[in-house]
Amino acid sequence: MASLKVGENKEINTDLIQKACSLAVKAHSKSSQKSYILEKTGGSSYVIFSFPGYWSENDWYDGEPFGETKINLDLFPSLRSIGIDEHAKVNKAFQQRFVDKISRNQDFIKEVEKAKNERKQIVFTGHSTGGSIAILATIWFLEKYWRSDASATSPLCLTFGCPLTGNHIFSHALRREKWAPYFIHFVMRYDIVPRILLAPISSIKQEFQPILQFLNPKSSRASTNTPPEALNFYMNVMKNASSVASHAACKLMGNTNLLLETMANFTALSPYKPFGTFVFCTGNRKLVILSNPDAVLQLLFYSSQLDNEAECPDVAQRSLQQHFSYGNELKDCFTKLDADHAVLLESLEKLPLSADSTTTSSDITTINAALKDLGLSTRARLCLCAAGELEKRKIGNKNSIDLKKADTAMKYLQEYQLSCKHQGLGCYDAFKIHKSDKDFEANVNRLELAGIWDEIIEMLKNYDLPDAFEGEKEWIDLGTKYRHLVEPLDIANYYRHLKNNDTEGYTKKGRPKRYRFTQRWLEHAQRLPAGSCGESCFWADVEELRIKTSSKEGYAPFKDEVLQLEEQAMKWINDGVLDKDVLMENSTFMVWWKKQPDPLASCINDIEGFTITSA
Amino acid sequence: MDPSQTFSSSPELANFVVSSGVLNQSLATVQDLHGEMINQNEHPVRHKVSQQPNCTFIAFSTLPACGKDYIQERGDLVSSSTLKESFPLFNFLSNKNNPDFSINKAALELFASISDRLPTLKSQIDNSKVLIITGNSFGGSVATLFTLWLLETIDFSITKRPLCITFGSPLIGDNGLQNAIFKYPTWNSCFLHVVSDQDPVPRVLISPHNPPATELASQTNVYKPFGTFLLCSESGCGCFEDSQTILELLTATYSDGPGNENPNQVLELYRKIVEYLNCKVICGDTTGLLQWTTLPLRAGIIIQLVATRLMRPQLQGQNNGLDNLITKIEKQETKLAESRRQGFDPSKKLNKMKINMAYLEWYKKCFKEKGIGYYDSFKSGSSQSDIKVVEFKTILTHYWVDMVDEAEKKPQKEGASFRTRWLGAGTNFRRMIEPLDIAEYYKGGGQDYIKSGRPVHYKKLEQWLKEKPASVPNKLKKQNVASSLTEDSCFWAHVEEAHISCKLLSSGESSDMEKELKKLLEFENYVYGLMKYYAVSPEIFLPQSSFMQWWKEYKEIMGTSYSSNLSNLMKDHDKYAIGSLEIP
Repeated sequence: MASLKVGENKEINTDLIQKACSLAVKAHSKSSQKSYILEKTGGSSYVIFSFPGYWSENDWYDGEPFGETKINLDLFPSLRSIGIDEHAKVNKAFQQRFVDKISRNQDFIKEVEKAKNERKQIVFTGHSTGGSIAILATIWFLEKYWRSDASATSPLCLTFGCPLTGNHIFSHALRREKWAPYFIHFVMRYDIVPRILLAPISSIKQEFQPILQFLNPKSSRASTNTPPEALNFYMNVMKNASSVASHAACKLMGNTNLLLETMANFTALSPYKPFGTFVFCTGNRKLVILSNPDAVLQLLFYSSQLDNEAECPDVAQRSLQQHFSYGNELKDCFTKLDADHAVLLESLEKLPLSADSTTTSSDITTINAALKDLGLSTRARLCLCAAGELEKRKIGNKNSIDLKKADTAMKYLQEYQLSCKHQGLGCYDAFKIHKSDKDFEANVNRLELAGIWDEIIEMLKNYDLPDAFEGEKEWIDLGTKYRHLVEPLDIANYYRHLKNNDTEGYTKKGRPKRYRFTQRWLEHAQRLPAGSCGESCFWADVEELRIKTSSKEGYAPFKDEVLQLEEQAMKWINDGVLDKDVLMENSTFMVWWKKQPDPLASCINDIEGFTITSA
Repeated sequence: MDPSQTFSSSPELANFVVSSGVLNQSLATVQDLHGEMINQNEHPVRHKVSQQPNCTFIAFSTLPACGKDYIQERGDLVSSSTLKESFPLFNFLSNKNNPDFSINKAALELFASISDRLPTLKSQIDNSKVLIITGNSFGGSVATLFTLWLLETIDFSITKRPLCITFGSPLIGDNGLQNAIFKYPTWNSCFLHVVSDQDPVPRVLISPHNPPATELASQTNVYKPFGTFLLCSESGCGCFEDSQTILELLTATYSDGPGNENPNQVLELYRKIVEYLNCKVICGDTTGLLQWTTLPLRAGIIIQLVATRLMRPQLQGQNNGLDNLITKIEKQETKLAESRRQGFDPSKKLNKMKINMAYLEWYKKCFKEKGIGYYDSFKSGSSQSDIKVVEFKTILTHYWVDMVDEAEKKPQKEGASFRTRWLGAGTNFRRMIEPLDIAEYYKGGGQDYIKSGRPVHYKKLEQWLKEKPASVPNKLKKQNVASSLTEDSCFWAHVEEAHISCKLLSSGESSDMEKELKKLLEFENYVYGLMKYYAVSPEIFLPQSSFMQWWKEYKEIMGTSYSSNLSNLMKDHDKYAIGSLEIP
């Protein structure tokens, strides 16, 4: 059985690909009531769900110039950046279609669950806009079943000539969750459909209707001739694709000319970005496979670029015709599939920039031939190379984080915490009073750590770290440990300097991003609701309540808040996420708490070991 | 890990500029303006404002239409020192480090001739739209000066930066002007100069023997470029930002076309070029595939040189005398990029500064224990640790002067000059360090610090803080007052002034006793007000502090029976430090 190697450890059966491809096309032609078709062959290890496409302008662009909208986080809770908490964007019409026709379709859900329970691999597939529905169905499956059931068989999503569907955060989130490898997109060299959403509707409005008419397999086409609008359509889409590609390339290449920023104010750029593995079909039985999203974006433009102006009418026609040739092309490819015919582009930063024929390395020769088949000039190769280099630099950024220094500072603060306790005062209060040399040393260490973590946050904000970063256990644990140990000191510092007077309460305005981010990491990893891991803010809650209850109104109006704080404190202490030193006799918390009416009725008294400290 | 490769993003930037379509639209506006009927007695500078849905275009053109010779005869520069009084619009470009600059006299006169139109023009700028200012030849020079003027008059915390696009304009100023604009990279990013290889005009004012880079500093009265240059030819276009490279390439790329004197023909030349470039963005570049192996940065430069027709694709790899030029450009590009990246990580630096502040805070605490307070200790300069304090103070002051200056020119975020973190840290800095500046000022015999001695960065930091809403003091604030800094960073200046008033009164030197007495009463109320809001650090009550010194002198003047709000409080000021002083 032949298979296609699409990644380091990933191979896909070519029969499956071909079957999916023919089903993807078949889904269109079925009666229009069907929102999906299902193929289960007895005995096979997989089932295939295939989704039809849709062909009106509103099925592409609904509202915004590029037809995008915020992702539905109820359906796709992972599709956001965690720390920054920026939500992904998705094509509005595609998402709507998915919500209306698939996610509420009980038959569909039943079939999916049945297949899952039978431990079959579920393959979602689609051609054209059907591919976008397949993508959303796959993510929905991953969110709903895969995250909670690690024993389930991983799904697979195969798309053919599918338009771009989500933005850079969409891509970022799928890579963070390590879901991107489940998506394989086949793209013909000139097929215009995967590129259309790089252009705003305003730039193609005139031509779009007749083009969609042509692309619709259900429409009764007068002839197989491409419509006269093809030329302008191709040129307009490509001009916009060029803008997007060069803007992205400038960033990949570390542009320092601020003109780019100024210019970007004048140009509306498509928000869409690829994700997953792309298999480019050169049109002469060769496949070029890569999964770096930045590189794919460049390739989407460069591979369908013209060699010279004279080719334009011809290429414009092909840009439509190739949308229908996936079946034949893949069949041709797979009948004779060997190493020369499917080239996996990894280490992009080492791509050959020239057609230097002196090299004897057969790898380079193969890659060179494949790149040539996609028509890639030196300039295009530079862009791919820069995309590879950027990926490498992100890893470099991660490795350059000074963990040793952080570790030393953490150790100091751990000892500081212990020594404070020995002297009868929790480190929060000791630090707040700031009397001894040790407190000063602790402050310097706190600031050292703040420096390291703020740098990490700054890199995250610029997406300068690998996409996987915020999902890595090592970092989540480190962040949590840091937050538990050091945030109380930050709070102490905040209330010591009365910064709440210049700004507002710590939790609202003063809390540094390094703590907000790390808390969100943990909440996301453990699938807890936002805000549920706020134990490191305990002291800020205490301080804010102290302020409130010290006002004229006194305790009464804040009774519920006080009770809530008490309950939380107990839970946190019992869970071991809040240090017991908060219960020491002279702590700000205890001194305040004892002043509140009826402290003995409080649940705090139930905490194990509490009576000893208060005795 | 392998060393990282560097790239030249310039070919991509050039492509982005072209594919964005702004060149077409700008040029169309210029052509419209030229197409308009011209009256006999027309003003030499005409303009046109064109409102598009998301963008405003302002185009300038000049009469008579000027060719190469016309401009060559008008190469005189006029210096900023002569302009200071007569035409002060550009005085803002002078600064301490770069006091003088010169502008082409003819261009400036043209711009000056439309001074009366400026307010009307400005009123037509819609803040919600982006703005493009454009023109060709001398019209582009007027557009450049108009843009420069806008940079000073528009508040970019609420408006997007404008873009000035010139087509075939001559150079406009010397290295003084260049430095003034380079000081703020965002200013430099507002200028895009489009130059055809067949147009002599942009090249006429380049001095024939451009000095090598090392002599630059001593060179005056030589025209220098700024902004980004888009050099175009029939093979494409490349963009360049390094000024030395631009000068060299402007000269080297010139291909003596049909000497176009008729401005309409020159415009037509640019129209054709822009149209051609627009078509080309979807075609593979003429460089095709390099024939030999080369590193990415170099490959990027070669692509640009081929696009400007300095190199022919088929000649690649042969020794065509350009290797030196390529190497030179490579060096200059690397240097420019390096200098840009420096200080790129604002957050890292801020945290270093916070550590410096932590040290200062510690010193402050140590002085407090000695019963003197850091203000007076520093003023007397008697302590060994003062040297350390000076060191930290210098580092911190350098940092904040730069930050404030930068934030003024390029706000950190839209709508506010400073991000919250910077504002918080800046306020802390001001409250901690300004007293030391005041100490130095009065120690050196200065008077009236607030009016005549206060550095601008403190003023700005205070102003920005005031733009944020404040809250009322609470009980917690009283309890914590011991560790807080005095909110008004000018507190000690007020103390010093009161001190001076006391001296004048007791020695009888003052000519206006009433006035001095009034000042002292005002000061008394001021301190009372601060104490009431717990806005002043209890350190002022330390036995050796200047404030207590003043209080002693003041009491002597006012007599033992004197009673006031403040004198009542002063009786038990020790309670203030623990927050238990009841203040009516």
